[in-house]
Amino acid sequence: MEMKRIGATILTAAMATSMLAGCSSSTTETTAEPATETSEAATQEATTEATTEASSETATAEKNIEATEITFWHAMSGALEEELTALTDEFNSTNEYGITVTLVNQGKYSDLETKLMASAAAGTLPDMAQAYNNYLTEYIDMVVPLDDFIATDFDNYEDILESYREETSEFGFIHGLPFNKSAYVLFYNKTMFDELGLEAPTTWEELEAVGEKVLAEKNIPAFGVDDRAGFVEATIRQNGGTYLTETGAGFDSEEGKEAIEYIMNLYNNGYASLPADGEYFSTILSNGQIASYIGSSAGASYIDTSSGWELGVAPVPGNKENAAYAAGTNLVMFTQDANKQLATWEYMKFLTSTEATTEWAIATGYLPVRESAYETEEYKAFMESDITAAAAYEEKDYLFVTPTFDATTAVRSQVNSTLEELILNKTDAETAFNTLLETVNAQY
Amino acid sequence: MEKKSVKGWIYILPSVLIMCVFTLYPLIRAILMSFSENYSLIKGTGTAFGLGNYQELFTDKYFLKAIRNTSIYVVFVVPLSITFSLIIAVLINNSGKLKGLFQTVYFLPYVTSVIAIGIVWRWIYNSQYGLLNYFLGLFGISPIGWLNETQYSLPALIIFSIWKSMAFDILIFLAGLQTISKDVYDAAKVDSTPAWRVFFRITVPGIAPMIAYAFIMGIISAFKVYNEVFSLFKGSAGPANSAITVVYYIYDQFYNNFNYGVAAAAAVVLFLIILGLTMLQRGISRLVKNKNS
Repeated sequence: MEMKRIGATILTAAMATSMLAGCSSSTTETTAEPATETSEAATQEATTEATTEASSETATAEKNIEATEITFWHAMSGALEEELTALTDEFNSTNEYGITVTLVNQGKYSDLETKLMASAAAGTLPDMAQAYNNYLTEYIDMVVPLDDFIATDFDNYEDILESYREETSEFGFIHGLPFNKSAYVLFYNKTMFDELGLEAPTTWEELEAVGEKVLAEKNIPAFGVDDRAGFVEATIRQNGGTYLTETGAGFDSEEGKEAIEYIMNLYNNGYASLPADGEYFSTILSNGQIASYIGSSAGASYIDTSSGWELGVAPVPGNKENAAYAAGTNLVMFTQDANKQLATWEYMKFLTSTEATTEWAIATGYLPVRESAYETEEYKAFMESDITAAAAYEEKDYLFVTPTFDATTAVRSQVNSTLEELILNKTDAETAFNTLLETVNAQY
Repeated sequence: MEKKSVKGWIYILPSVLIMCVFTLYPLIRAILMSFSENYSLIKGTGTAFGLGNYQELFTDKYFLKAIRNTSIYVVFVVPLSITFSLIIAVLINNSGKLKGLFQTVYFLPYVTSVIAIGIVWRWIYNSQYGLLNYFLGLFGISPIGWLNETQYSLPALIIFSIWKSMAFDILIFLAGLQTISKDVYDAAKVDSTPAWRVFFRITVPGIAPMIAYAFIMGIISAFKVYNEVFSLFKGSAGPANSAITVVYYIYDQFYNNFNYGVAAAAAVVLFLIILGLTMLQRGISRLVKNKNS
């Protein structure tokens, strides 16, 4: 009898712990999203913001917006969410129309994508959301075109970086405004590079030379990538090739072949490696098990230099051309209600204003979306101290995003797993090239 | 219709309704979806009606790999889990005062979240710091990249799953062992029957219904394996999809590739496999029962 009771107590305790464990596992999942910045920066910025806001509002006086509520679905967590909340609170309290924006965190990007798809099917889309272009292909006719808003009521659209403007006009009309943008950069162990007398590689040849030296001296791979599909596309572009077209793979060419050869040689020679044990390269670099990797600039805060090494950040190496993968979502509007559209537009203008995008970029490590933001004293000062921002700035003029076709999503996931398999099997370059071509074409 | 049966129908109406809405209707929709090609979730229709999805399915190397992996998984996990569970259940049952403690300890995996267990096992399997490689190292076996190499990912998954599914099996076997009369064991003791014979002649036949139950449930749940894959490989299906299972394939096609039709077709195939196996098992157990009586 006594035994039973003790057993029951232990069981209850075990259940309680397992619930705790459940909680902690979900936090690990959310932190897996690249998040940056410290919370002090967020609060500091919030105070300087209020003074600069008013200027952009003055241009349009004759507007008739009734007080309303706007729902905004996003996928920002941790410090990113804090900063988004700070900006939104500011908008809610300072806008003259009584607009209240409600933030709804939908989890990770993939959760957001799934929920948007489901609510598009059910006809219950939120007023606005963060979205990658490839989320939208199936329900692009439910997205509100922003061309008229921009023509009549937007502060200097040309000021938005050109690559972002191209990205948001891909569907034949302007479907969104750029928001949380990052760029892939090369993170490297500067201490190790200095010790071996190496410089950050700027070209393919230099990267190969670094790979050879690191392997010979340190017996570890020099290089890795978190996003294999993005790496394949960037490499093909760096060689002057095309990755995808409307009808299939665009890299069935000499340029494409060379690019795939270069990738396979990096891996087959042991200069590059796949991530081990399900870790991200930020962790692997922190543990000193790799000398460099290409990853999102927004992931810089995950690199841990506490074991006493210095981090270096450089633009990604190029070949015939330079090309760096741009990641991050745009703000899109779904609401069909005329008044809500105007209200949503006010908020979208606010988030993409020079002041807000600068504040957002400094607080989160994302990149400003406006040229003028790069020119602000605050951001210049920030780049002085932040090497990741400085490296991303150098890539400003050759950032690209994957063109969006129906097959883009499937191509992305299939190229990721196919390349992984080719690398694990140490496939020769020729076979790898043909396999990748087939894989991509099969998705159309 | 008799008054009585009308009343009966009214009684079961709520559950029939719930079943129709949440089980039957989705089932029919999934079957229809599997026959519509290029199904669009937004439009609710496909471009054509036919067997295209099934054709695509059976030429997809990942689906064939998923079927193969799932079969291997079932063949190893179910019998091994039942065997180990049986042995441990008998040991626990004879462990006297510590019985309650052991019972609790072995039941822990069942009440703990799979995601949390997955994190722990990822550490056990870690190629450099992992516990498993440490112990293998004591026997002079060099480190194995359990989660990094294609040939080890499925064994890693199987070991993890055996450990995990033992919890439930032990529980029902322990319950079963209580039903065997003590007199039978006492009689065996008087005859000084060897322990192994007691096990095979008394214990195993005594809890045969529980073993059969564990077998059926084990096979069904093993065919549906997904959580274990997801948690062990951090949301992927192992290096180069080497540990892909049928349900993971369905998930991947549906949520990552938006191939709804193909995902539905794979779900129908899985349904048919499980249906077939369950009917086979029922047939066999009926045959055995008839023979015994």
